[in-house]
Order: sequence, then C-alpha cells, then structure tokens
Amino acid sequence: MQLLNLLRANTRKEYLELKRYLPNTLAMMFTFYILFVGMFMGIQFIGDPSAQDVNTQFVIVNYIFWFLAMMVVNDIGFVVMNEAMRGTLEQLCMSPMGLWRIMVSRLLATTTLNFFIIIVLLYLSMLTADQWLNVDLVAIMPILILTLISMFGLGFMVAGISIIVKQIQAFLQILQFILAGLTFVPLSVAPALAYFPFVKGVDLIRDVMINGTTLSQIGWGDFGILAVNAVVYFTLGLAFFLYCERIAMKKGLLSHY
Amino acid sequence: MDAIIEVNQLHKQYKKRRSKEYVKAVQDVSFKVNRGEILGLLGPNGAGKTTTIKMICGLLVPDSGTIRINDIDNQKHRLNALRQISAVLEGNRNLYWRLTVRENLDYFAGNRGFSRREVHARVEELLGQFNLKEKENELVNRLSRGMQQKLAIAVAMLADSEVILLDEPTLGLDVETGYEVRELLRDIVANHNRTIIISTHDMAVVQDLCERTVIINNGQIVTDDRVENLLKLFAARSYTITINGQLTDQQRKLLQDVFPDSTYQPETIQSTIQVDFSNGAKMYDLFDILKLNEAQIEGIDRETVDFEQIFMKIVKGESAHATA
Repeated sequence: MQLLNLLRANTRKEYLELKRYLPNTLAMMFTFYILFVGMFMGIQFIGDPSAQDVNTQFVIVNYIFWFLAMMVVNDIGFVVMNEAMRGTLEQLCMSPMGLWRIMVSRLLATTTLNFFIIIVLLYLSMLTADQWLNVDLVAIMPILILTLISMFGLGFMVAGISIIVKQIQAFLQILQFILAGLTFVPLSVAPALAYFPFVKGVDLIRDVMINGTTLSQIGWGDFGILAVNAVVYFTLGLAFFLYCERIAMKKGLLSHY
Repeated sequence: MDAIIEVNQLHKQYKKRRSKEYVKAVQDVSFKVNRGEILGLLGPNGAGKTTTIKMICGLLVPDSGTIRINDIDNQKHRLNALRQISAVLEGNRNLYWRLTVRENLDYFAGNRGFSRREVHARVEELLGQFNLKEKENELVNRLSRGMQQKLAIAVAMLADSEVILLDEPTLGLDVETGYEVRELLRDIVANHNRTIIISTHDMAVVQDLCERTVIINNGQIVTDDRVENLLKLFAARSYTITINGQLTDQQRKLLQDVFPDSTYQPETIQSTIQVDFSNGAKMYDLFDILKLNEAQIEGIDRETVDFEQIFMKIVKGESAHATA
C-alpha cells in the first residue's frame, strides 16, 4: 500500500511539473515533430521510391521508440542532476521508502505521462506521412512492458552515474545518439544486438506495427530473450544504482553539485 | 533521562581533491541526546557540524563509530532509523520551488508512504500550526525567505518523527523572521514532544532555545554542557571591582604579578579592576592586594557574558573548560 501511495505522490508531482513547465513540454514535442518531418522529407526526396512506404513506417516506429528510450533512460539522469542542483536529493534520500523506490515510482510516473505524448506524436506522424501502422495493443503491450523493464534497468545505471558524477550533460547528450543507434539498427543487420537492453523489443514491435505480426506468431524464444533481458538489465541497473548510492554516501557526494 | 540518539566514537575523513591527502572532518565524536531535548551543535566553519548531522541523517557513512536512533543502528537498519528522524538540511533549498505550499507538503508526505487520508490530515494540521493556510496555493518561489524556511520546517514535521535535525535554521533570515522561527521551534518542543538538534552559527538561537550545547572544533568535541552551566561558569569567573581612588604603584605591580590578565582602569574618583578567576586565581588574593592601602571597595560586579563570548573563548582554546 505504501508503494502505491509513493507512486501516486510521484505521479502527481511529475504531472504538476509537466503542467508548470508546459512551454518546455510543448517545445520538446515540437522539436521531435520537426525532426520527424525532416526525416520524412529526406525519404520523400532522396530515398528509394519503391521502398518509400516501408521506409517511412520504419522511421515512424524507430523515432517513436527513440523518444521513449530518451524519456526513460536519459530523463532519470537529468532528474538526479536537477534534484541535486535544487537541494532536494538529500531529502529524497532521507525517505524511509528508500531512494531506489522513489526512482522506480518516478520512472513509472514519467513513462505513463510521456506515453500520452508518445501517442500524440505517433498519430501526428502517421497523419503527416499518411502511413497508418498496425496498432495491435494485444501484441504490442506484453512486448512493450518487458522492453520498458530493461529500459528502466539502463535508466538506473544512468541515474547511478549521475549521483556520483552529477555534471554529466555531455554524456547524456552522447547517450541520445547511442540510443538512436540502438533503436534505428534492425536486428537483421546486427543479430547480437538482441541481447542489448531494448533492441529486441523494438524489433518485435516493428514487426507488429509494420508487418502486421500477431501475438501468436511471435515465438516463445523471442519472449524468452525479452524476459531474460528485462530481468538481467533491471537487476544489473538496480544493483549498480545501489552501489553508486553507497559510494556517494561514503564520499559525501549526495549534496554536491 | 533516556537518550534517543547515541553517537559513539564517530570518525570521518575526506580525500582532498586531486591529492592523496585526507582531511579529518570528524574525530572520535561521541555524545547523547536526551528525549525532548534541544541540543545546539556549534562550531566554526569546517568544524565538522554538518558532517556529524549528515551522518546522523544516514546521508553519510562514517569511517568508524556507531549512531543509534531510538536504539536502532542507522548503518545496519538505515531505512528503519530514517523513520525516527527528519531534517531541514539546506533550508529553503529543500523544497520544490515550482510547486505550491500544499503541493510540497502533499508530495513529501506521499514520499514517506502516507495514504491520501493521512496526508490530508497531516497537511491541514501543519498549515494551521505554521500559519501557512493563507499561502497554501502560492508557489514556493513567490514566498518570502522566512515563509520558505517555515515551510521547510513544516515538511520536516510531516514525518511525525521524534527527532528533527536543523542545519542553520535561521541563516539569512531577518531579525523578526529569525525570532518567529525560534518561537516556532520552542512551540514544537514544548507542545509536540520532539527532540531537536540544531546546528547553527547563531548564538542567539543557542542561548534562547538550546538546553545543552556540543561545541565542535577541528572535528573534535571541545565542550558538551548545559547552556546555563556555561553561562554561569563563565559569568562566575569574570568580575569588575570598583574602588575609591587609585591603586598604589606597589599594588599595581602585585596585581600584574598575581593576575597578569587583569585590566586596571585608574580614574580620579573611582577606578575599576577587571579580573578573570578562571586560571585558578583566588578572590582572596585580590582582597589581600587591595588591603595593602585599605582601598575602599565600592562594588563587585559579576561580568555578564553572552554566549558568543563563551563560544569564542572555547573555540580559541582560551578556556580550560572540558567536556562535561
């Protein structure tokens, strides 16, 4: 019950801040939309005309997942940095719920709230490109949930680094491009990437949304890889975060910015 | 009295940046805080006060030593120990400036796992107690510094924990708001059964609020005593003696020999002698000197000292007063 109360408090806070910083939120959405329009135009003018439709669909799914990955993985790093800068990180660390639980609830809250933005962006880009993807929620949701868990793990690793290093803006900017690489590269080109945090999930969702693959057509082996990735990366991420928190408490880094 | 906090032989050192050297921030610090007590933690900048406070809060891991809060070891059972305490560590920086007063209280209460009903009840109570009801929908960045400080203390009170730690609660406040915050703290202790540790530079806060003080210098405790004891002790050691006329040359010489730190101010009608008896000197010796020409004593006044003077004497090592 206490965990639900914690989640409710953090969801409300994230919603309020999103509302208070509305111009910032709208600017972020606009930037992403413009980026998509740029990619779409590129395909229209210099892409192979015979593969134009598929390429456009490919770009829509990839860029939506890039946005999601940035929201989940990068955002938590910025959250830690901002909390340290504001002076509230120590207050969070003093909660008897534990910092990691607060961070999990923050991740869940921001992911849920950003989901609405993602849906708007998805339909806006489909409308712009006049390419309608297969939004089969029954097939997408289980894949998405498992993919998100592994993303959370990666997010925890970034948060752990942020607790110790704090001024990691440059790293987070580079990470944006790494995340872009991981979401844009198809598994057929680099099969080993299936064991990276969320590449397998994005690939499966691409299959569902572009090729119309149904849940029953996805093999247990694929789900197995997704599940193992989810458990391994989340556990690794959380362990790394707790380790970094301990280091920060030993070196007195929680309040330093 | 039973101790709610037991700090035992704490040690903490930090590595200097870009160097292999270490700075000893806290060395062998031990003290107890009794239930319902207001303890002042004093010391100059860099003395180790904040390091000690943060170790009690579980935000810093000591190199060695233990801290027990309500008999719970804060290293072995950190989260459990955190249920016993709350803190205002960076004053108004502990708040979310783009949230309103009520939203801040709601958030921090929820962050401790309180249910919606509990949050509502606690927040309503605190808004009333801290006179923040009128400002409940005001964004924190629009509040005065004093209001922000009050809200930060209210947030610390949300937890309903027995112990509250305050790091510099009156820093940057004007006289009136500082007084208001002191009154608030006094009320918390008197009517809400809390134990408070205040780390401060503000001697008025210590003299006005604290029952006991622990003075830290260079990472070590130099004094641990009741504030009234220190005031009495230091006041009792310094006297101003007023005599009719002046001292003879022989008396002046003797005064300098027996009381080298004394101050003699000759005046035509009445002269004054200021003597500190803290170094083992006796008042009888002074009387013997005055008796030589049968100087008429007009008055003996105990010098009034404020806590700032006591603090300076202890920190500068001018006093032999040891840990009680």
